[in-house]
Amino acid sequence: MKNSLSNSNDDAAAPAAGRTTGAGRLLITVYGIFAISATARAGFQIATAFNDAPVAYLLSAFAAVVYIVATISLARPGHKWAVAATVAICIELAGVLVVGLLSVLDAAAFPHSTVWSMFGQGYGYVPLILPLVGLWWLYRHRAAADK
Amino acid sequence: MTVDGWFYAGLVVGLASTIICVVAAVTKKKPNDITLLSLAGVELFVIVYAVASLVRLTSGEHLTGAGWEFWGYMFTAAALPVAGFYWAMMERTFWSNYVMGAVGVTVVVMLARMAQIWYGVGTAAAHLQPGIGQ
Repeated sequence: MKNSLSNSNDDAAAPAAGRTTGAGRLLITVYGIFAISATARAGFQIATAFNDAPVAYLLSAFAAVVYIVATISLARPGHKWAVAATVAICIELAGVLVVGLLSVLDAAAFPHSTVWSMFGQGYGYVPLILPLVGLWWLYRHRAAADK
Repeated sequence: MTVDGWFYAGLVVGLASTIICVVAAVTKKKPNDITLLSLAGVELFVIVYAVASLVRLTSGEHLTGAGWEFWGYMFTAAALPVAGFYWAMMERTFWSNYVMGAVGVTVVVMLARMAQIWYGVGTAAAHLQPGIGQ
C-alpha cells in the first residue's frame, strides 16, 4: 500500500495515462478472472478425466498459461512487459480464432470443450473480445511504453 | 438447470453490487461507503452461503457433482471481493468502481456453476460443460 500511495500522486494528474492504471486496471482484473477460471478448469479436467481427451485438456492448460502470462505482463510497467503482453495476447487471439474455427468446422474433432471452443461461447464470447480490447489498449499506450 | 432461493438471493446481491459500482463509476465517483458496502454485501452473502451449505451437507443433503469442485468455487468466490477490494484500493480513481463492479457479476456466474454442481446440469446447458462435473 505504501508504494501504491506514493505512485498515486503521479496518477492523480492523469489517471488514464498509464498502461497499468485507470482502465488498464479493469482490463487486468478481467484477465485475472480468466486466468483463475481457465487454470481451475484445466486443472480440474486434467486431474479428473485427462485420458478422455488429452489434446483438448492440454489445450485448456495452454490457454490458462497464456492468460496468466497476459495478466502478469499487463500489470507490470515497462517496455519489456508491454512487448510480453502483446505477444501473449496475439497468441491468445490466434488461439481463440483457430480453436473457435476448428470447433465450428469439425465439431467431431472437438467433443470436449475448452475455453476457446466455439469462439468462447461458454464464456459469453468474452474470450473473443478480450484480446481485441487488450491489443487496442496496448496500441493506445505504445508511446508511453517506449519511454 | 435447477436453481434455488440461494441462487436468486446471490443474483440480487451480486447484480445490485455490480450496478451500484458501475453507476458510481459512470458518474466518475471514487469508491465510497456505498460501493464498498455493496462489495462487503457480496462477501457476506458468500460466507453465509458457505456456512449454510456446510450445514445442509452435514444434515443429509448431497451434491450431484464433485465436492472439492463445489468448495473450490466457494473459496474463489469468497476471495474475489477481498482481491477486488485490494486491487481497487491500490489506486483510488473512478476506475476502481469498475474493478469492484466486475466482482459481483463474476460471483453470480460462479453461483450459477455451484447450483449446477449441487443439482446437476440440465440438458439445456449440458453441451456447454462437457467433460466437467456431471
